[in-house]
Amino acid sequence: MRDPYTVLGVSQSASDDEVKKAYRELARKYHPDNYQNNPLADLAEEKMKEINEAYDTITKQRAGGYAGSSSGGYQRGGYTSASANPTYARVRNLINAGDLAQAEQLLYEVGQKDGEWYFLSGSIAYRKGWLDEAMQNYTLAVQMEPGNMEYRQALTLMQRGSMGGYRPAGYATGMDAMDCCTTLMCLNCLCGGGRC
Amino acid sequence: MFGYVRPLRPELKCRDFDLYRATYCGLCRCLRRRYGLTAPMLLNFDFTFLALLLWEPEEGFTPCSGRCHANPLRKLPMCPDSPALELAADESVILAWWKLRDGVEDEGFWKGLPARTLSWIVWPAYKKAARRCPEFDRTVKNCLEELSALEGENCRSLDRAADTFARLLQSAAPGEGERGRILSQLLYHLGRWIYLADARDDLEEDRLAGRYNPLAARYGPSGDDEALRLTMDHSLELMGAALQLGDFGCRRPVLENIVYLGLPLVEKAVFDGSWNEIKKQKIWRND
Repeated sequence: MRDPYTVLGVSQSASDDEVKKAYRELARKYHPDNYQNNPLADLAEEKMKEINEAYDTITKQRAGGYAGSSSGGYQRGGYTSASANPTYARVRNLINAGDLAQAEQLLYEVGQKDGEWYFLSGSIAYRKGWLDEAMQNYTLAVQMEPGNMEYRQALTLMQRGSMGGYRPAGYATGMDAMDCCTTLMCLNCLCGGGRC
Repeated sequence: MFGYVRPLRPELKCRDFDLYRATYCGLCRCLRRRYGLTAPMLLNFDFTFLALLLWEPEEGFTPCSGRCHANPLRKLPMCPDSPALELAADESVILAWWKLRDGVEDEGFWKGLPARTLSWIVWPAYKKAARRCPEFDRTVKNCLEELSALEGENCRSLDRAADTFARLLQSAAPGEGERGRILSQLLYHLGRWIYLADARDDLEEDRLAGRYNPLAARYGPSGDDEALRLTMDHSLELMGAALQLGDFGCRRPVLENIVYLGLPLVEKAVFDGSWNEIKKQKIWRND
């Protein structure tokens, strides 16, 4: 295992508060919410595990080895809800395993298209990076089953635009911080002016 | 390529700006050394980003001094040749060649003349580059062929059309291992974003010329900026999420600047039309 202090990016002499702050920042960065249905979700999950372990190790060390697990509040996302339909359950498993071609094929063999069909179809499209089709499919899924929270959540994720998601410190506010930057000023802002 | 991928300069620290500029100049020199005196005309910001992305994360920034191609009297700090720069140089030659061929085939004899002349100049460099990266060469050729087939049949699916260019760019980095997966995802969405930005930029021109435009096919003749912005922003978000998972060493701040600030601002400029001015003024100028 890597040195827990290196994992959290703090020095050995950092105060408890600094360690906690570094941990929170990293936890915010790799939080499963930022990687919902993302093809790289497993990598984020690994990172999350690593920083959880590092934080636990440090707190235990500092408490003299008696403290129990103090973090672990962040669990993985992924598909938790089960499908009543066995084909859909298999499709979900295939999507989670990253086998999109197989999942797609299986899904196309289903005759009756219901809300879940469109939802799963949207999930496959999303994983492939076909975001426009994902959005269309999620929309249909919600229209057919407006009460289903899973579908609505997926659609909300698509509709939130640049408002959501993690930004490192300094980029937190995104475009809004640049309101002062009129179009004309932007001519000089985008690198290419000057000597580069 | 297109020049959409730029950092936002006022938000760059001085040392990050130096790093960016030295990478840009290093790529220029690398093109010249590998492909001769005409090759630096293929230099662009997009491939500078690619070089930054491909760089070994452990490697620090130690520029050397070299002569500027545009003004040989001036000496500038530039990154010495490295595998990342060489790959970026090879790939920019290959992509430039196929884009030119594309231009030749789309236009008639007279209109295609500039593209044809240029492609003659690029030909020897292309032959060399294609030998060095045969796989990328094949992918670019196939993807652009697929794209023109989709254009021919007036493809209504935005994603399907964008997918061709996204896969093209995705193949610019080796896709094996954890790092490969991260780069693949990042480049896929960069390619998708570039394709959509370019389509939005050409929307009016294509309408007047009666050419295929993926946005017109998907949303109707005047496009739908609201929907397009949403889907482009989501690609940017996925790029950011991928960027956070990788190790990019001292190049991370520049990369973050480009993804979180440069690209959104370019997107904004493309939507409000000011992009035309920006791109004309800046793209090939060296000082």
